Amino acid sequence: MKRFKLLLLALGITVVAVFGMTSAASAEGDVPHASEACIHILEDGGTIDDCQAAPNQLLPATNELIWGAVAFAVVFGVLWKLGMPAIKAGMAARSDKIKADLDAAESERNEASEILAQYQAQLADARTESARIIEEARQAADDVRANLQAKAEADIAELRARATADIESAKVQAVADLRGEVTALAIGAAEQVVGRNLDAETNAALVEAYINQVGANS
Amino acid sequence: MFATEFPPLSHIVNWPGFGGTEGQWYEFNKIVLVYVFAILMISVFFFVASRKKALVPTGTQNLAEIAVDFIEEGIVMDTMGEPGKKYSPFLLSLFLFVWFTNIFGIIPVIQMPASARIALPLFLALLAYFVYHVSGMIEHGPIKYFKHALVPPGVPAALLLLVVPIEFISKFLVQPFSHTVRLFANMLAGHILLVTFGVLTAALIGTGVLTTVVGLLPLVALIFFTLFEVLVAFLQAYVFTLLTGVYINAAISHEH
Repeated sequence: MKRFKLLLLALGITVVAVFGMTSAASAEGDVPHASEACIHILEDGGTIDDCQAAPNQLLPATNELIWGAVAFAVVFGVLWKLGMPAIKAGMAARSDKIKADLDAAESERNEASEILAQYQAQLADARTESARIIEEARQAADDVRANLQAKAEADIAELRARATADIESAKVQAVADLRGEVTALAIGAAEQVVGRNLDAETNAALVEAYINQVGANS
Repeated sequence: MFATEFPPLSHIVNWPGFGGTEGQWYEFNKIVLVYVFAILMISVFFFVASRKKALVPTGTQNLAEIAVDFIEEGIVMDTMGEPGKKYSPFLLSLFLFVWFTNIFGIIPVIQMPASARIALPLFLALLAYFVYHVSGMIEHGPIKYFKHALVPPGVPAALLLLVVPIEFISKFLVQPFSHTVRLFANMLAGHILLVTFGVLTAALIGTGVLTTVVGLLPLVALIFFTLFEVLVAFLQAYVFTLLTGVYINAAISHEH
């Protein structure tokens, strides 16, 4: 859209310029300025050749030289003393601002880098510390486990020893009891044998019957 | 049918004075009016541009900064480097003044580039001539400057008899003339071209069906050359300023 407007503007300027040029040219053709000048030349005693002689374009007109010099001096004065210093000052201010901003950004970047390095160092310290704490905890846990295990094993061994002692004691007791029983049996059997004078076969039968009686009672 | 009369050259470049000043040394004609417009346009342009001094430039300030930057970076630094910065205001004035006076060649109603008259190019070329020779003399001292300007290094002594006059003619006589004529002839040629197609178009269009159709050709050429003159106006201002920078550099430089 912007390009179209620019194109339209260029076209408008061109059309005005073209028709201005054609009208100016045609006006120059219509107005007998040349004829008027020629009449003056002829009146002053000149000839037609003088009328048609083209002016020397390489000779500068004095008024144009003087006005040109003055005009250029004015332009130079305006630009040298006012225009250019103001524009350059604006450009310098912008350069200074950009430079100051860049310096500030650089300084902030350095500061941020330092802070980052500090954070990273702190993070590394924290990681080391946490690793140490974990290691210590693991060590402590291992120690506790080992202690508990040792204690459990000791308890087991103690229980086992106690059980073994109990068993042994019970066995001794049982043997002693058995021995007492057997003795009592033997005594009982002997009483039976002594109480009845029997033959060997009867003694044996008595003993066996006694034993069976004891076995049935126990 | 085609008996159109081309106006004499005097009618398209010589302008009568206004307000009874004709014939006086201070005669105020169309060319002087162009000078005045150029002064006003440049002054107003820089006044508006430097009024606000925004940190982030927009509009006119931006254009003025582009113009200053274009002269400093595009001409001064390219031709002279850092030591040439003191010539920036002079070169900026040259460039803008030539450009603004050139552009009036296509501005409706005025339609006359001031540089199509020899006075302005001649004055500016002589001013540049004065500036670069005086700068050279200040830089090297008068005697050394002439030696610097006229005796190229490494030339055998036997050839100096030939080379020195050539260098003298080239640098002291032809250079200001070529500097003048380059600008003047280009602008005059452009102006004559526009007038030629303008006259042809005016003579042909509207005088009959066939002539109107034929008249479209010079009309198209007129449109084309009008746009082309926009480029020429800028280019000639640039070339004139660039050459001034090159001449100043050749004068003040310590290298050959």
